[in-house]
Amino acid sequence: MQLKRKQSSLWPLSLLLSALVVAAPAMAGSDVEAPDRPSTDHADTQKKPSSKSPSDPNPLADTATESAAVEMAAYDDTDHVTVFTPSIALGVENVNGGSLHANYLVDVVSAASVDIVSTASRRWQEVRHAGSLSGAYKPHDFGVEVGGSVSNEPDYLSWGGHALVTKDFDEKNWSLYLGYGFSRDTIGRCGGLNDGCTPFSVFSRDLLRNSIEGGADFVIDHASLGSISADVVLESGDQSKPYRYVPMFSPEVAPTVAKGASVDWVNQNRNVERPLEQLPLSRRRYAITGRYARRIGTTTLRLEERLYDDSWGLAASSTDMRWVIELGRRFALWPHARFHVQNSVVFWKRAYVSGLGWDLPEYRTGDRELGPLWTVQGGLGVKWYVGHRENPEAWAFTVAGDEMYTAFLDDLYVKQRGAVLGSLGFEGQF
Amino acid sequence: MTARTFWVPVITVGLLALCGGCAHVAAYDRGRLAHPMMTQDLEGPAAQHVLAVHEGATGGGSLAESGCGCN
Repeated sequence: MQLKRKQSSLWPLSLLLSALVVAAPAMAGSDVEAPDRPSTDHADTQKKPSSKSPSDPNPLADTATESAAVEMAAYDDTDHVTVFTPSIALGVENVNGGSLHANYLVDVVSAASVDIVSTASRRWQEVRHAGSLSGAYKPHDFGVEVGGSVSNEPDYLSWGGHALVTKDFDEKNWSLYLGYGFSRDTIGRCGGLNDGCTPFSVFSRDLLRNSIEGGADFVIDHASLGSISADVVLESGDQSKPYRYVPMFSPEVAPTVAKGASVDWVNQNRNVERPLEQLPLSRRRYAITGRYARRIGTTTLRLEERLYDDSWGLAASSTDMRWVIELGRRFALWPHARFHVQNSVVFWKRAYVSGLGWDLPEYRTGDRELGPLWTVQGGLGVKWYVGHRENPEAWAFTVAGDEMYTAFLDDLYVKQRGAVLGSLGFEGQF
Repeated sequence: MTARTFWVPVITVGLLALCGGCAHVAAYDRGRLAHPMMTQDLEGPAAQHVLAVHEGATGGGSLAESGCGCN
C-alpha cells in the first residue's frame, strides 16, 4: 500500500499500487494470501469481464480501464503575476498489472512583478507546454515503471526520464521502492531590442539533474497507512536567471537598506553597476517525507511532513493537511491547510556590496525563494460524483480553491505576497 | 544547520516509526484502507507547479520533473 507522493510523475504508480493491494484477491495473479497463485476469476471485481473467464462469451473483450481528466486552473498574486493552466491526463490500466499514463498541460503566464518593474521592463507573457508519458507493469509483488517528460517554452527546454522498481512484502503489508531520474534543461534568453529569442546555439546554459528516490509504504493498522521516503537530487550547471539583475550598494549604504525598500529608493541609492545573478554551479538537495492517512468514520485525515536541506544552506519544513469529509455518496469536501518555512541560502544578502572596478561578490541573487520566508495556505476542495447509481465515483467534477500568504523576511521591494489558486476539473473512468 | 545535525534525528525518528508499532493486517481486513480518499491525488498539476515555484525547497524528489518554467 502506498500513500500518494506529490510528484505528478509518480501518481499513476501510487494509484496502481493502491489498487493492487486493495483489490489484490480480485486481480489476476495477485492473490495476497499466495502471490504466485493464479487468480480465481470468479473473484474479479473489475467492472469489465476478464478475457480469461471461461464464461466470457467474447475472449477478446477489452479488459482495460481507461481514465481521462481535464482541469482548468488559474493563479493570481499581489505581485501582478497571473497564470492560466489547462491540462489533460489520460490513462489505461490492465487487470494484468500494466498501465500507461499521459499528461499534457499549458502554462500561460503574464507577469509585471516588482522585479520586472525594477529593471524598467514591460509586462511579459509566455506560454509553456509540458507533457509526460509513463508506463508501469506490476503483475505480482514486483513492479517496474519507466517514463519520460518534456517541457518547452521560448527560452527554456527541458527533457527527462525516470525508472522505478517496487517490491511488496508480508502480503503487501509493506513495500519498498527505489527510483532514478535524469533530466537536462537548456536555459536560453528572449527579449532585447527586437523582442525575439536568441537561438540556443548562440546562447544557452545546460543544467543536468540526477535524482534518486527511495522509500517504504506500510500498513499501520486496519485504518491507517504510512509512508516514508528520501530524495537526493544532484544538480550540475548554471541555473542563474539571465534576466535577474542584482542591485549593488556601497559599503556605507548597504547597512541602511531597509527590508522591503522600494524600487525608487533602491534605484536612487544603489551603485551604477547592476550585474546579473550568479549562483553556484552545483547543488545537492536532500529531502525526507513522511505521510500518514487514517480513515475515521466517513472521513479521511491525510498528513504530510517534508524536511529539506541542501548544499546551498537552505533548510525547510513543509507541513500539509487535508481532512476529507464525505457527504453521502455524491459529495466529498476537504479543508486544506499548509505551512512552509525556510531559512536562506548561505550567500543570501538583502544588500550586496560591490567595490571599485567591478569587484562583485562571487555569488549573488535576488531570487526571493532562496531567501528566508514562511507561507501559510488554506483552502477548500469539493468533489461531486456524477456517475451512475451503481458507481457514482466513475465520473466526477472537482472544484478547489486555495489562498496563500507569504512573508518575505529579508528582501528588497516586497515584504509579503498574497495569492489565490483555483481549479475546476472533470474526470472519468470508462 | 549542518547536514549531520539535520539528518541524524530525522532518519532516526523515521526508522523508529517504520520499525515499530505496525500491525499485520490481513487482506480481508483492509476495507477501510481501500477507500479511494486514502490515496487519491487531490491536488492537480497546476497546484503542484505553484508549490514548486513558490517554495525554494521543493526541488527534491522529482524523478521526472521537466524544468520549472520560471526562467
